[in-house]
Amino acid sequence: MTLVDLCNLLINGTIEGLLIALPALALTLVMGVARFPNAATGDYMTVAAYAGIGVQAWGAASIFLAGLGAIAAGAAISIIFYLWVFRALRGRAPVASLVASIGVAFFARSMLTLFVGHDQQTFNLPLVRAWNFGGVRLLPTDLYVAALALIAMALLFALLHLTPIGRQMRAIADNPDLARACGIRSGRVLLSLWAVVGALCALGGMMFGVKAVVSPELGWELLIPAFAAMILGGIGSPIGAVVGAVLLGIASELSVPFVGPSYKIAVAFLLLLLVLLLRPRGLFGKAILSR
Amino acid sequence: MSQRITRRDVLKASASLAAASALPRFAFAQSAGTFRIGTLCPITGAGSPYGSGMQKAIEIGVAEVNGAGGAGGRKLELFNEDGQTKPDAAVLAAKKLIEVNKVQAIFGTWSSGVTLAVMPLTDAAGIIEMNCSGAPAISTLDTKDLVWRFQATNDRFGAAFAVIAEKRGWKRPATMAFNNASGIGNAEGFKKAWEKKGGRVVASVVYEPNRPSYRTELQQILAAKPDVIVTGSYVPDSTIILREWYQSGQDVKWILPGWAANPDLVKALGNEVVEGLISVDSVSNENAASYKALDAAYQKATGKPVSTNVYASMCYDMVMCIALAMEAAGPNATVAQVNAKIREVANPDGTQVYSFSEGKKLLSEKKKINYEGASSKLDFDQYGDVTPDFGVFVIEKGQLVRHDVVAI
Repeated sequence: MTLVDLCNLLINGTIEGLLIALPALALTLVMGVARFPNAATGDYMTVAAYAGIGVQAWGAASIFLAGLGAIAAGAAISIIFYLWVFRALRGRAPVASLVASIGVAFFARSMLTLFVGHDQQTFNLPLVRAWNFGGVRLLPTDLYVAALALIAMALLFALLHLTPIGRQMRAIADNPDLARACGIRSGRVLLSLWAVVGALCALGGMMFGVKAVVSPELGWELLIPAFAAMILGGIGSPIGAVVGAVLLGIASELSVPFVGPSYKIAVAFLLLLLVLLLRPRGLFGKAILSR
Repeated sequence: MSQRITRRDVLKASASLAAASALPRFAFAQSAGTFRIGTLCPITGAGSPYGSGMQKAIEIGVAEVNGAGGAGGRKLELFNEDGQTKPDAAVLAAKKLIEVNKVQAIFGTWSSGVTLAVMPLTDAAGIIEMNCSGAPAISTLDTKDLVWRFQATNDRFGAAFAVIAEKRGWKRPATMAFNNASGIGNAEGFKKAWEKKGGRVVASVVYEPNRPSYRTELQQILAAKPDVIVTGSYVPDSTIILREWYQSGQDVKWILPGWAANPDLVKALGNEVVEGLISVDSVSNENAASYKALDAAYQKATGKPVSTNVYASMCYDMVMCIALAMEAAGPNATVAQVNAKIREVANPDGTQVYSFSEGKKLLSEKKKINYEGASSKLDFDQYGDVTPDFGVFVIEKGQLVRHDVVAI
């Protein structure tokens, strides 16, 4: 393996990792604040990606408009299901919400396929050749995807750490009872949380669709990698989710020359296993005593 | 392969379901002395572009046989169900066909997954199964010799790819296979045939489904500097691979199976990317009288030439084969006795016949016959598999243009 190959693998791994980072962030936010693993995360991505396709199909060729449409749709579906399903389950055991979220996932996907069918869709984007730096190939599309993901993450961290609503989210994540005692109205906070989660999913779905193809199983298939990234980074830690996703991406790509593409996913999970053995709370997780 | 369910499909499916549930009521009254056939064509799901036409072709065949006075003293009776291109749905429908309708044969399973799921049921019931699937495993799992395949195996597709690559003078092929029985079957079949010709495959990779990118896999393949890449793939993964290949800018030719390189792929990628790409699919026995007769009847029934649906001619041949075998087996033959006659009426060493009535006449004169089908010349090997011819389609300006036909 030459240095050029290595660079190419690193680039691929980073891009794939950044793609997974967005749903992983959405998962970890819900996990931290609403306290259940949201299995519908992937299907929010799918619905949003189809909304983006829909915007283009209606005549707006601009990928920017398609993205805005996707984000609006992602936030909308996320809020709708919060108000409809997850709000009623607050205060119950997390497994109730988890099971409900699996149901939401199936429901969303089935409704989607009823209307759009099972055909694959693609975003209408001009194809460009990769920039070639002496064998190291860099795709402009990948660069946009990476930049967008990084901007979205920066915005999210700004929201969490620089705004009152972000501070309230973190307060609820730290200690819901204390937050309530301090007068934080959790209803409003949760609404904004779900909107942010939906928008993150939408962006992830949209970028996945631009890079690959849009199909009804798009998001569902990404759920396991996103879960893995969240666990690797430490449950509830946004920065951990991003780092975890990128690490898993790079590890699986770098393993290809050694184990072949069929086993690269296994290598990523081996890494996860090792980290959890040595550091059970994940890279950035906090040790929590169960009460 | 892609699938689309439109509202019309849903209507069609529910209509056919309603029809299927209405059928047995009056059918039972006259079912004494008939040979009962169940159909499991993919009316909905990924096979829906083909399913309705397949069922129509079976109906045309049955009408032809019954019109000629039946086979072996019996009329054929049809029970249609929708296989939905889904193994679980097809298994339920097959159970209903076997247990409620007491069918003696099931025709028209299309996806390999469906055929592999239905085979254990038909085997257990001791009835005949006829399909259009490609997975090599079907040959070896068919231990009772009750399963008959009218489509080329993936292995043979691979061999056809090798013939095409050799004809065009390519020397350094590489393979990329989707990780399932069909994808790997294509790639392995190619490798086997290519190495038999004394060639060497310079690189090969088996990739996982549902990845956002196949750049790493592609990088491995392209690093070996192949002049042609042969795939066992489907539409979604082919879309991603070809897009990334095009963006990489490296010059190489492609050979894809027909179910991956189809108009959907062209639509997803645009004309420029797929220009010159070779798509290989089995083609019907277009010069045979049987094909021409079917074509006329099919056009009358559907308004489309039968060349639009390569599986329709296979399904028509299923009816012809079973009817001629019944005729050869004589009155009141059991399923096993009919099954044992299928090779005898379809394979060489007999007078070539192109229609049921022609064959029936010769059989009554105690002559040996060799049915030449609409889908292929229909010579079954020891596994019950046939070897159709393959059409070589080159994508030119977004259209699949047939250049030649190869036989393996």
